[in-house]
Amino acid sequence: MSDDYTLAELMCVVAAREMPQTGVVMLGMGLPVLAGTLAKLMHAPGISLCTEVGAFDWAPAPDVTRAPVGIHDLILNDGSAMVGDMVDALGSLLMGGNVDVGVLGAAQMDRFGNLNALCLGDYLNPERRLGGTGGNTEIACLAKRVLSIMPQERRRFVPRVDFNTSPGYIDGPGARRTAGLAPQGPNRVVSTFGVFGFDTPDGGESGSCEMVLEAVFPNMAPDVVQIETGWELRVSDNVAEIAPPTDEELALLRRLDPHHFYLTPGRY
Amino acid sequence: MSEHEAVERFVEDGDSVYVGYTSVAYGLTHEIIRQKRRNLECLGGSVGPQATLLFMAGCSNRVRSGYIAGALRPGAVTEMMNDGRLQFEDYSNQAIALMLMAGALGIPFIPTRSFLGTDYLSPEYQEHPGGIPGYKKWEVMDSPFDGQKVVLLPALKPDVAILHAHRADEDGNVQLWGHMGDAKWAFWAAKKPIVSVEEIVSRDVIRADPGRTVVPGFRVAAVVHMPWGAHPSPFVGHYDADYAFHAKEMSHIGQAEGYEAFAAEWIHGVEDRADYIRKYVDTFGKDALDAFRADTGPWPEPDVSYAHASHLRFRMPEKDAP
Repeated sequence: MSDDYTLAELMCVVAAREMPQTGVVMLGMGLPVLAGTLAKLMHAPGISLCTEVGAFDWAPAPDVTRAPVGIHDLILNDGSAMVGDMVDALGSLLMGGNVDVGVLGAAQMDRFGNLNALCLGDYLNPERRLGGTGGNTEIACLAKRVLSIMPQERRRFVPRVDFNTSPGYIDGPGARRTAGLAPQGPNRVVSTFGVFGFDTPDGGESGSCEMVLEAVFPNMAPDVVQIETGWELRVSDNVAEIAPPTDEELALLRRLDPHHFYLTPGRY
Repeated sequence: MSEHEAVERFVEDGDSVYVGYTSVAYGLTHEIIRQKRRNLECLGGSVGPQATLLFMAGCSNRVRSGYIAGALRPGAVTEMMNDGRLQFEDYSNQAIALMLMAGALGIPFIPTRSFLGTDYLSPEYQEHPGGIPGYKKWEVMDSPFDGQKVVLLPALKPDVAILHAHRADEDGNVQLWGHMGDAKWAFWAAKKPIVSVEEIVSRDVIRADPGRTVVPGFRVAAVVHMPWGAHPSPFVGHYDADYAFHAKEMSHIGQAEGYEAFAAEWIHGVEDRADYIRKYVDTFGKDALDAFRADTGPWPEPDVSYAHASHLRFRMPEKDAP
């Protein structure tokens, strides 16, 4: 076990551990690409990694020198079972009901797991405009489950996202159905402090549908997680402690991000 | 056809232009800026720095997209969006892909199950500062067949699509492969697809491998032979992204001074893409250009066969009597 790692590195390692062993995984922009590549090479060789740009079941060579730099990286053509286009990927694959887990990042997340990738502040007079949702919206609407990766900061973990680009459980039980969406979950969140589930046994029909702290990183206490969370956080009765990254996990993660495209050394 | 002629003949002021995110036609983008087209609308599921160049150059004042790379960092593009100089409507990657598909299919709208449950559909946001006046963006309805809630999106039929592709023949048949975002539907939706290609090949090459043709010549307005036409964007089979060029030359194109400096040197300072590449080699050396040429090849060359039996037999031969 190594204790020489950053919280952002541990976040990626844990997100990789949270990937399913099999099934179709659609990777959103940013950290999901790094975590997905790590999972495929390490914990979950059976998953089919797909992107909205049109790579289907990408299988990186064991000695691949880097994770894709973004979801339009040419490396995703190399070793995919199929390459197609966005109608194939976000239409037939995703909207057709074939994506088991969507892996997403964003600028903000709220207590119901809604994400915001569009603007900070009021949409009609934003404090800051962001790039935009890309495919984040449809993946959140249509994947059977969502795994979100998000650095734990109070300005990111907000009571209500400034703009809901990507619905989780929206505003509580029954909201997905009312909106016309299928049940979803169990959804998961991995932050730089720990791992969260959601209080709903049936994908949003009942329960509070709020985020619940289930496990913390080594030497992290739930009340510290609360400090960087913008609402009164639900905490599981038995919060587990997450194992630190193994040397193997860390070495592979660092090999996959040789230019620090994803993880800036020293951040978090 | 030269890039000068293609843009001069087929891109008009006020045109809507698909610019895309994969198969980025940077060479054609630069030519549009040299020819000072005005009031263009940029379209694409995600639009990258090539759209930022068009906004900064004053060529484009409107955008419909799911991701605007130029708005990622505060700067001139977000200022233009805030003060109305750049009109915008926010969609998503899937929405634009489906809207182009509807345009290609000749149908007026297309339903999606995306956007349900999001704030995009909130009544208070349907008219917003910087929005396109009088534009009907979508409509939520229950399916007349099974009652399922859907969002109807209007068809997109861009006046022009600029795209970079692998190769074309003398008839304008265009081949493109690899993951391709929403490019394929843009070829079919656009009234005037303008395609730059790495290679011009003979008819035989195209017709020996027709599965890789994404649009036949009769649907293409212009083909321009333009090696390195996507640089500094990546182009599968030929070259990877030139991140160093992005970092050194293009990192400040979202600010007026940074844009002016880049444009003076790399857009207005050259005649065409061939001249741009000569300048690149003169400035950074041949090795810099060669450094990101495609050089991997762990997989065997694809052996694509479209062979068939040369003589069809419709009747079984008579069996010899026992």
